[in-house]
Amino acid sequence: MFATIFKFKKIIFVAIASTLPIGIYTTSQAQNSTQKTVTINFAPKVGKQPFTCSNNYANLGTSATTVIPRDFRLYISDVALIDANGKAVPINLEQDGRWQHQNVALLDFEDKSGGCSNGTVETRNTVVGTIPPGNYQGLQFTLGIPAALNHADATLAASPLNLTSLWWNWRGGYKFMRLDLENQNTALKQHQEKEQHQSHGDGGFPIHLGSTGCEADSDTQQPSDCSNPNRSTINLQQFNAEKNVVVADLANLLTKTDLNANQPDTPMGCMSSPEDQDCAGIMNSLGLAFENKPASGQTFFRVE
Amino acid sequence: MRDYRWLNLAIAFALSISLSMGLSQALAANNTSNTSDYNWNLPTWMPKPVVPEDNPMTTAKVELGKHLFYEKRLSITENYACASCHKQSLAFTDGKKVAIGATGEPHPRNSMSLANIAYNSVLTWANPLQTRLETQSLVPLFGEHPIEMGMAGKEEAILNFLQDDSKYSQMFTAAFNQEPSPVNISNLTKALAAFERALISVNSPYDRYRYGGDSQAISEAAKRGERLFTSERLECFHCHGGINFSDSIKHERLAFTEIAFHNTGLYNIDEQGAYPPDNTGVYELSNKPQDMGRFKAPTLRNIALTAPYMHDGSIATLEAAINHYQVGGRTVDQGKWAGIGKNNPLKSEFIQGFELTSPEKSDLLAFLRSLTDQEFVSNPSFANPD
Repeated sequence: MFATIFKFKKIIFVAIASTLPIGIYTTSQAQNSTQKTVTINFAPKVGKQPFTCSNNYANLGTSATTVIPRDFRLYISDVALIDANGKAVPINLEQDGRWQHQNVALLDFEDKSGGCSNGTVETRNTVVGTIPPGNYQGLQFTLGIPAALNHADATLAASPLNLTSLWWNWRGGYKFMRLDLENQNTALKQHQEKEQHQSHGDGGFPIHLGSTGCEADSDTQQPSDCSNPNRSTINLQQFNAEKNVVVADLANLLTKTDLNANQPDTPMGCMSSPEDQDCAGIMNSLGLAFENKPASGQTFFRVE
Repeated sequence: MRDYRWLNLAIAFALSISLSMGLSQALAANNTSNTSDYNWNLPTWMPKPVVPEDNPMTTAKVELGKHLFYEKRLSITENYACASCHKQSLAFTDGKKVAIGATGEPHPRNSMSLANIAYNSVLTWANPLQTRLETQSLVPLFGEHPIEMGMAGKEEAILNFLQDDSKYSQMFTAAFNQEPSPVNISNLTKALAAFERALISVNSPYDRYRYGGDSQAISEAAKRGERLFTSERLECFHCHGGINFSDSIKHERLAFTEIAFHNTGLYNIDEQGAYPPDNTGVYELSNKPQDMGRFKAPTLRNIALTAPYMHDGSIATLEAAINHYQVGGRTVDQGKWAGIGKNNPLKSEFIQGFELTSPEKSDLLAFLRSLTDQEFVSNPSFANPD
């Protein structure tokens, strides 16, 4: 009996072992013949100026604030091109082991220079993948990380989901976007206070976008449901991947926000808390519902 | 045909069993470092903690975790360790109203005791999402609001110093000896969690009296205090019951995990039950109005050592903590957070207030002080190894 089982085991093993690679090979062959590479270019800007960590930017928000950038990174996912019939055709992201993992890509606009000293030297302003050839006329993506990846074990996650500065462990997820701004006036004031050996508070206007109101089923670790997922689906018309870039414009993002003020008894800037009115204008510009205000069209991204 | 089909099914069934047996044997052989050699050294009455399957206890891992727990290079200023806010002499609390992080930033909350942390079904004061020590430690290490250790974005610096330090490189290899590159953040959190699970406190005078059969281990006053504690008049035991004096508990003899949070009427700012905005309890995470002010009932073990009390350290002494429950919720007379906690509409039904004579209060205090485990706070195996 046992001998028979072992014999069968061997046969099945051989059968599986020999069919598996063939299956993989043929699939990739098929994909290669029908897919073409596509690169989506992004450009971070502040109005018309390009964004860099070594510049200060004036006239931002409702109080015409001058800010010093400290960080600017964001995760996008489910990137697709829209064909002539309005159908979204997903881009299969290149699995490069660095910037892209499964259907998520990190865009990293900071280079650790200037005020961005806590960032990384490497930058990234493209999303690369493959798609069947076609007559595409628009672009669609989600600002944020899909729930399945957002709540997995961050310490074991693949790059780019293993950057500690983009973890949000307290809320059990990631910062979908991290845009840290320092108010130049606050920075000056802090500098003066330091000179006078006085204590000082935290300055600036950090913006951390992520899911809130997340709950876990019983004692399982991963939250299954978030009342504010805060994932924004971005639809851009008349986008040609070969000619156009997607501009992420800080000036537009902040146009409804007073960067000189902070609602009392709330964290500095906007930490995605549904009660923090400092988030209202930002969520609105991102095309997200906030409090009782329904979502309207996003104004952060545009095609150029 | 028919016979063949049955034969095929039978063979497939037998195969899947023998395959899975072979697989588990192979896994077991490959994972000697995962075989727990750890001796909990528990009295027989104390059930073992539940340990995650992916992080079994081993002496090598606990030892590594201890070194990491006391390691100041795990902070941005290199002068702060986990132990800075969790001091053994104070049952792994810090004696401060609220914790102060490496950069001097005050935390909204009071440092919690780590005694018997392995028996906690949920971690921190009020975050239902924190149920694994391995994940929770990422909050103090990498969190930024507030900054505790302040290491966000510094994971490479951490891994570099650990790799370059021969002590750590040997200890990581010993603790995770089947892994080609054992120095990583995941293993760091696993080792820290293993050390924390080792922090077991079961040798208080009350333990010797209640479980150890030593009827003389606590005073007559403490025995009277115990009766008050477990009485329906005071209702303390509803939330602070069981072997760990907390109703958020799990261990290997419990068929179910218990997780509970309570509003005890510490605040009532707007007469709708509001708590100060940086300490709203479970509400901070869930955003549900009914979760306002709900916090975990912490263990009362070593409670005499862990002043000040409550999630924000706003009650200085054990006497004052009893007063809060005696009147059925604290009244804050003046200031920004003024309000009558007793009237908090979200308050737990067990916080109704009670009559307590002065001698009775002394008895209750004697009972609470009998929960202090001197062996736990002086055990050299939990102390700074350097």
